[in-house]
Amino acid sequence: MTAPPAVADLALAEDAWARLRRIRDAGRLVADFPQVCALVGALDADHRARAGRLLAGCDLAEVAATHGQIPAVTVAVTGNGTCAPIVAPLVAEFARHRLAARVVGAAHGQYVADLADPRGDLLAARPEVTLCLLDAGVVADELGVGWTADDCARVLDAVLARVTGLARRHDADTTATLVLHTVPLPAWLARQLVDHRSRARLGVAWRQFNAALLGLAVELRRCVVVDLDTCLTDATPLDDPRLRAYAGVGFSEPLLGRLAAEVGHVAKALRGHGRKCLVLDLDGTLWGGVLGDDGPDGIEVGGAGRGAAFRRLQQLVAQWGTQGVLLAVCSKNDPEQVRTVLRDHPDLALRATDLVAVTAGWGPKSEALAELARTLNLGTDSLVLVDDSAFECGEVRHALPEVAVVPLDAEPARHPDRLLAGDWFATLRLTDDDHARRGHYRAEARRQELRDGHETLRDYLHELELRIELARPDERELSRVAQLTQRTNQFHLTTRRMDDAAVREHWRDPDAVLWVIRAADRFGDAGLVGAVFGRHRPSGPLVLTNMLLSCRVFGRDIETAALRAVLADARESGLPGVLGHYRPSPRNGRFADFYPRHGFVPVEPDGDVLRFRHDLTVLPEPVTHLRITTDLAGAS
Amino acid sequence: MITQAEFLVLLDDELGLDYTPADLDRDVDELPGWDSVYLWRLLTVLEARTGRPLPFDELLTTRTLDGVRKLAVDGA
Repeated sequence: MTAPPAVADLALAEDAWARLRRIRDAGRLVADFPQVCALVGALDADHRARAGRLLAGCDLAEVAATHGQIPAVTVAVTGNGTCAPIVAPLVAEFARHRLAARVVGAAHGQYVADLADPRGDLLAARPEVTLCLLDAGVVADELGVGWTADDCARVLDAVLARVTGLARRHDADTTATLVLHTVPLPAWLARQLVDHRSRARLGVAWRQFNAALLGLAVELRRCVVVDLDTCLTDATPLDDPRLRAYAGVGFSEPLLGRLAAEVGHVAKALRGHGRKCLVLDLDGTLWGGVLGDDGPDGIEVGGAGRGAAFRRLQQLVAQWGTQGVLLAVCSKNDPEQVRTVLRDHPDLALRATDLVAVTAGWGPKSEALAELARTLNLGTDSLVLVDDSAFECGEVRHALPEVAVVPLDAEPARHPDRLLAGDWFATLRLTDDDHARRGHYRAEARRQELRDGHETLRDYLHELELRIELARPDERELSRVAQLTQRTNQFHLTTRRMDDAAVREHWRDPDAVLWVIRAADRFGDAGLVGAVFGRHRPSGPLVLTNMLLSCRVFGRDIETAALRAVLADARESGLPGVLGHYRPSPRNGRFADFYPRHGFVPVEPDGDVLRFRHDLTVLPEPVTHLRITTDLAGAS
Repeated sequence: MITQAEFLVLLDDELGLDYTPADLDRDVDELPGWDSVYLWRLLTVLEARTGRPLPFDELLTTRTLDGVRKLAVDGA
């Protein structure tokens, strides 16, 4: 999937690399780490591998301590061979996602001991991600001379049983996400069998082994299995024979880079650093030609040749749209003409209905993107821009370094590969809400129209006919709750990220409280948009340990209505009060006064958690423009 | 031919390691920021630079970076 870099990209990478080294020379790697992250993002794969080595010398714990918005993430590395060469690529890939990787382990050949003992050195470091590297040596080393395909099949079964056992144990004993990968069958092993019939038998057994490994990602809640076969389809070499022989390294440097990138995506998803919205340029990106000059009938899309190549990019983008990636257009064009083409052009694979926003105008693109992010209630760091204009790419990179920019060149056949290469929207698993997301945002655009037609916000809110529900989630909603904890940054009062298993554990705990907020209005069902986490103390106050609300539904007093319902329920149940927790993060400052605003008074903080108490004598005013139903059965 | 000065530039360009001429004569175990995994990368880079295969097994046991440079220059 790696397209050959364009000359402009190489120049950009060289420039970013030179700037990185200047920061290093000035001794400012830690101080300037946010900038370092943006520069690493502009590097190509080759330069990124070098950047990892350059960053390996800097104290990542200090980075996290200095920059609140760049968390340290502990990654445990183990495997059957030499694991150390993946450390530098991991550091670089994590930096790309604004994460400081603290890599532990990476000893040679220790995977069984490392994974079998939750109190051993590796897992005692309490990693968030555990990476287990298995090269073909894990099988080949157990074959003697004179082996047959059947012998190899038996070894494969034994290795599979071992790895499965270790993975299940890891899933049960730790809170880390285990990253495994398929083990490609190398030619140097397969061709040791001289007859084609045996090679076929070996190929079958080997693929059954890999299929079973992939099955672990389906079976286990905290397991990701990377399909290395897909990483090898762009002529990435599997290994280097000399390093394999002399140093026990089972993977080539480019392949380790690819694998590190996959681990980076997992950490990014766990930490809520994922991208949410793809912003598309039009002329030269979605179609050939210039709409303003060539007219709707003159643009290149569909048919054969270049038109077909442009249509393939549209199909890819539309496919992502069905899975919850928000699609928007930002183009320097006449808005009316753009609207008409997106609605009526017969050959487009991407339609106006697939888009959540269309911005067309003549101002700087960075300003249009910032406005787009505001409209969608997203951070600009959630955006990925794809554009064929080097000027526009450069302008956005300069003004909004947190936006991911995918520059395209003049060859549309390469567009899809260039967009796929960053794997920007990879996530751990999709929820029902992801499939419905585009509808939610389109409904939001209709709400915006209603709002624009009202003089006051209050009138608008009354006409919205908003209904919310506060209740215990049912089991199939737990993945969505986990996703909210991972993706929500602004109204997230203690920013505790939880995976599926952690949410499930909390949900099952009889002393714990988990309520979800569902919302709907005259424009549609917004689905599960918030959650309240809490804990009961014997004859003490109810403690709200976390509360979060999707930014999609800000500004409608949903959070006030939900909190009031919780307080009312607590008072009815005769509780002596309610405690609320707030832990400041770089993104949730807007809600620092949430509890005080609703009649809570500060009490002694607990570490970095600020605590507030409500004595339940005077409840907040009811919210009159929405209807709330509650089902907090058994809660208090 | 790769001079010491060129070699230092290459170490920085390709590995992000900023060394002085004196560092080249230090035992790799005492070299700040050095990790043996860097050597493998260095060997690949040196082969590309010199355009000929280098004796990996011998290079992997070399104790100083200047020793590596000389082996690459002389072809051992």
